[in-house]
Amino acid sequence: MTKTSPPSLFSLTVNGRNVVVEADPKTPLLYILRNDLELNGPKYGCGLGECGACCILIDGRAVRACTIPIAAVAKRAITTLEGLGDGDHLHPVQQAFIEESAAQCGYCLNGMIISSVALLNCNPDPQEADIREALRHNLCRCGTHIEILAAVRKAVVLSKAASSASALSAVSETKA
Amino acid sequence: MTFGRDFPKSSYLAAPEVLTVASASSPDAELYIAIHADGRVTAFNGHVDLGTGIRTSLAQIVAEELDVPFESVAMVLGSTSAVPNQGATIASETIQITAKPLQRAAATAKHYLLRRAAERLQLPLENLVVEGGIIRAVTGENASLSFGDLVTGASVQLVIDPEAPLKPVSAYRTVGSSRPRVDIPAKATGRWTYVHDVRLPGMLHGRVVRPPYAGFDHGAHVGTSLISVDETSVAHVPGLVAVVAIGDFVGVVATREENAAEAAKKLKAVWRLPPEQPDLNSPEEALRANPSTPRKLADRGNVELALAGAANAMDRTYVWPYQMHGSIGPSCAVADYRNEHLTVWSGTQNPFPMRKDLSVLLDMPEESITVERLEAAGCYGRNCADDVTADAALLSRAVGQPVRVQLTREQEHAWEPKGAAQVIDVRGGLDLEGGPAAYDFETRYPSNLAPTLPLLLTGKIAPVADTLQMGDRTAVPPYAYGNLRVTVHDMPPIARASWFRGVSAMPNTFAHESYVDELASAAGVDPIEYRLRYLQDKRAVDLVRATAERAKWVPHTGPGTLGGEGDLLYGRGFAYAVYVHGNFPGTAAAWAAWVADVAVNRKTGEIAVTKVTCGQDSGLMINPDGVRHQIHGNVIQSTSRVLKEQVGFSSTAVTSKEWGGYPLITFPEVPDIDVLMIPRPDEPPLGVGESASVPSAAAIANAVFDATGIRFRELPLTPERVLAGLNGMDVIETVPPVSRRRWWSVGLPVVGVLTAVAGLATMASPWRTAITPVEKPALDTYSANTIERGRLAAAVGACNVCHVGTDGQAFAGGRRFDTPFGAVYATNITPDPENGIGNWSYPAFERAMRHGISRDGHHLYPAHPYTSFAGAEEADLQALYAFMMMQAPVAQKAPETKLAFPYSIRSMMAGWNAMFLKAAPFQYDQAKDATWNRGAYLVETLGHCSACHTERNALGAEKTGRAHLSGGFADGWEAPALNALAKGPVTWTETAFYDYLRSGHARDHGSAAGPMAEVVSALTPLPDSDVRAMAVYLSRLNTSPVAETPGVQMQSAIAASVAASEQAARISPKGARIFEGACASCHEGNSILSPLTLNSNLHSDVPDNVLQVLMNGVEAPAILAETTGRQAPEVMSMPAFRDVLDRGQMEDLTAYLRARFAPGKEAWAGTGQAIDRVLRPLANIH
Repeated sequence: MTKTSPPSLFSLTVNGRNVVVEADPKTPLLYILRNDLELNGPKYGCGLGECGACCILIDGRAVRACTIPIAAVAKRAITTLEGLGDGDHLHPVQQAFIEESAAQCGYCLNGMIISSVALLNCNPDPQEADIREALRHNLCRCGTHIEILAAVRKAVVLSKAASSASALSAVSETKA
Repeated sequence: MTFGRDFPKSSYLAAPEVLTVASASSPDAELYIAIHADGRVTAFNGHVDLGTGIRTSLAQIVAEELDVPFESVAMVLGSTSAVPNQGATIASETIQITAKPLQRAAATAKHYLLRRAAERLQLPLENLVVEGGIIRAVTGENASLSFGDLVTGASVQLVIDPEAPLKPVSAYRTVGSSRPRVDIPAKATGRWTYVHDVRLPGMLHGRVVRPPYAGFDHGAHVGTSLISVDETSVAHVPGLVAVVAIGDFVGVVATREENAAEAAKKLKAVWRLPPEQPDLNSPEEALRANPSTPRKLADRGNVELALAGAANAMDRTYVWPYQMHGSIGPSCAVADYRNEHLTVWSGTQNPFPMRKDLSVLLDMPEESITVERLEAAGCYGRNCADDVTADAALLSRAVGQPVRVQLTREQEHAWEPKGAAQVIDVRGGLDLEGGPAAYDFETRYPSNLAPTLPLLLTGKIAPVADTLQMGDRTAVPPYAYGNLRVTVHDMPPIARASWFRGVSAMPNTFAHESYVDELASAAGVDPIEYRLRYLQDKRAVDLVRATAERAKWVPHTGPGTLGGEGDLLYGRGFAYAVYVHGNFPGTAAAWAAWVADVAVNRKTGEIAVTKVTCGQDSGLMINPDGVRHQIHGNVIQSTSRVLKEQVGFSSTAVTSKEWGGYPLITFPEVPDIDVLMIPRPDEPPLGVGESASVPSAAAIANAVFDATGIRFRELPLTPERVLAGLNGMDVIETVPPVSRRRWWSVGLPVVGVLTAVAGLATMASPWRTAITPVEKPALDTYSANTIERGRLAAAVGACNVCHVGTDGQAFAGGRRFDTPFGAVYATNITPDPENGIGNWSYPAFERAMRHGISRDGHHLYPAHPYTSFAGAEEADLQALYAFMMMQAPVAQKAPETKLAFPYSIRSMMAGWNAMFLKAAPFQYDQAKDATWNRGAYLVETLGHCSACHTERNALGAEKTGRAHLSGGFADGWEAPALNALAKGPVTWTETAFYDYLRSGHARDHGSAAGPMAEVVSALTPLPDSDVRAMAVYLSRLNTSPVAETPGVQMQSAIAASVAASEQAARISPKGARIFEGACASCHEGNSILSPLTLNSNLHSDVPDNVLQVLMNGVEAPAILAETTGRQAPEVMSMPAFRDVLDRGQMEDLTAYLRARFAPGKEAWAGTGQAIDRVLRPLANIH
């Protein structure tokens, strides 16, 4: 009962840029990001939403690009691993993962970072159990869990420092 | 574009200014080092980085020996055009073996540069030192030269000097200090190029279709099972370039990846039935039955005599399951075959051996093949990297363009060469003094050559089962048993297998270290003390003592000393091993010892490994942080293997095809790990990639014994196995029913009560008169208002849901409905005069709508719900007619409905109509308000909700009275009760009905799927007021008083499902694991999806809708909600699991879902039949 739909044009917002792609409406967003937009952050891992290698942020929430048909995206803002940083600055979570060498093969790294960013978006001060629960459905086969947990703990510290620094600068700008 | 191509060796050698070091002076010599004029160093190694960080460690070795900054060294690994041929990256050999010539080459270069500097500076050689790539005098002269200075101006090729002096270890600064991994910054920002990320101009996308004997690669059927491929089955796929079939190799190529995936899924291939295999779910019997050749590895003392005299004979058997490497990224490769040359971009572990395979596969010389090696997902042994490279090569040759092939998750799972099962028997016992009387150790290991799959599939090599000698790793125990015999039974493979981390050593050590623990226990001696009595290797003794001390080991002579609390029993266990790799007697890698702490839940059987103290003696550690990470990785991965991992098999194929069926350890389960690294800077460096895995199984099993007093000798230690052990019962493995064909294609019985016709009417009835054809009304016949009213009538009637064309054209007809009486096809209702209703007058239209009589006088079957339409307002039907006549005609004939006798006698419907058709106008209820009446009208006439939501009698007519809207079946789906009989835990309120009909989602119930999703979509044009009216009417169908608010009902339902999770896992342990691995990522902790326990379908009397969703997936709720602007609807779709979960897994999962999310309800009976019902329409399509 599969209906083939004619390719349609879709306008997407990816990492702050507007792009237009032409594809079958059922096409998984993952293929669009990787093949049409040449973004290597999200990785194909299972195509079933199980492993988390393809995680991206949609409106700040971590979702699995392999199970998102392009037709479902509409105007929502998509952020990939490439779009986390701010120009030349790494996102604090990326910074923390690099400092803690929180990767072996690194194939799951995209999902780990994206899921951690999503966690800190809604819980800036997570406890150990919160972190483990937030990453529960991101699979890592190399066994890098210990380093990843350390990285998320460090990211919490870096994020707080970054937000208090930006709060300070906001205050000084206001005063100026 | 991302080319991912390394410069060839020749380009380094031909550079105008470079210093190179090679194996010989000829241009085809192996190149190891190139120092460039800017001082940068490129170093080459034939082994590859499998994710262990070897790239960083090798760069450290080069930087150390050259005395250059670590940052100035770049490694090129594995690409055949550039690097030395050093064989496959296996057996923890990179540091111990392949780094040696590299180190010597670096030393050769450095000493050459020193000599050149001495000449240039005119200073004695002994006065010069190198530091950070700068040569200077130690004697005070103000003279220095950088490596770059010395290289500039000439191209010099050196030959490795095997005598070049190496730096003393005492002078090491870079080696032995931790360096951050060089690859991680790029990987953390998406700038690293994995093999999956290679993109070439003109690159096409390929997928392969593998044969049904998944995971078995020898026997006469391999390469000879394909009967036919029907290319027309994929002719509709856009951008399809080619379908390629060679022997049992089948692949498709398309311009876009999603199209290649679609073509691979839809391609109709007919295969011979695969042969039956022995049961590998409980592999002991199969391994014992597999023909084998004994090979004696050790024989000292007199084992038989000692056994005969043993005071306490202990014969034990240990069983290791088939396991999976489980790379997180399924293998991928790109190939470009043109002009008689092949370039492949591959994640291979074996660039040079694979190149040889490709030359055989494609009948071309090795020199015409370039292998560019790029990193892939970690593989801990061998995955499908070589297979997919060969796949890509075949497809690229077929189309003459570059082709990227990505294996699917299920292909990687099913076909990766598994870590083999193993069975070990130990005969032994205690002598009179409590010492080991004898140790007679026999291990059985099915071989693991796993030839590159496309060679077998295309018939290029014979599918024979070769026997390797690889079961002997760490087969000789580390203890000084006086009477010792060690035998390995070499045997051919059963399932496709290859080496997997700690190959054969891990199972062998499971036996050694469990057994010695049993000896200690039987002798009444602390298990570590007992080991130390017989351990002679000094480094091993030091390690065991240091690890015990670090873990604060308290000597004890029996289990139970750590006690427990509540349902938990605590225990700790010890194990030690040295991983011996390579051909027997082999080479030792690092020594490792474990102290494992566990908590065993005696009620659920779950084991939590709470802490692992792991000591390791790795000799000199090149990169101590890297070593620590490897130990962490080994501890976590091996804990996962011991507790959770086992490949499932049907009688013909692997059934574990995704992570629910083969679960891995998750973050909440990861133990605390305390690593103790013994400093041995003066000892040679040892491989650290595998050692820490080896003691895992015995340490954990010994800890479980310490906690419970029960020995487990078969893995994995799943809750059901542990519970069975605790209950003193044998573990009962439930093996899914054997199916010889693809299971869903088996002939299915006719079942189900579907929207349907009746057949037993006996009254003969006259053929009704035809109504004269008319000209189609002109486009300007009707007012815009009338057409708009008709559009809304068509929307509320959801006409296009049933009458949609098979190609998606509105109202073109052809959709098939399977009924108990046969297949009914919806008709073409576009205004095409030949095929549709273009020549129907309004009276003809009205008669069809109200009486079920076609224009030409033949009776329609009540799949067309004229019994509901009969009550519609005249004005609505006229408007609907007007609207239909304004549609684009589609000149396309829908298939004719041809029911079997007697249902084929349409005139019998006259009798049926006399019994069941009440062609009266809708009766409004003056006692109710206008909104209710509007809702009732829409629901009961045009909306024809009862057509699906009311059960039908044996004649296919809707039942009346209490049955009205109390639930029915339609199109393979249960249409749930809309009244007081609704099954969900939360009452359907007006708001819930409104949200559901308007957006396809109600917070307290879930999302619409299947035909109802299509109905919701069809209702989109309706004004909110009409949807509200329907909601009002529907919500008042339930007149029973509601004691609790929906919020309270919701909270208590959720609490009940949480409380039921333990019990559900006991009822269906496999189902619980599938849920955790395959479902929970979206269905738990998701604030957008409604909790599953609120979903009516889990509470229904039948599992059909649950199975519909599991089998066929659900479209993203956001698509449905898009038109209505609902906030934050879920953008993810639910994938279809019918191709990845087999029948047994579906049944396990369904049982778990029912027990967990409808805890008060009885288990579903007849899930098997429900699966048949759900799959029947699919079987018709395929």
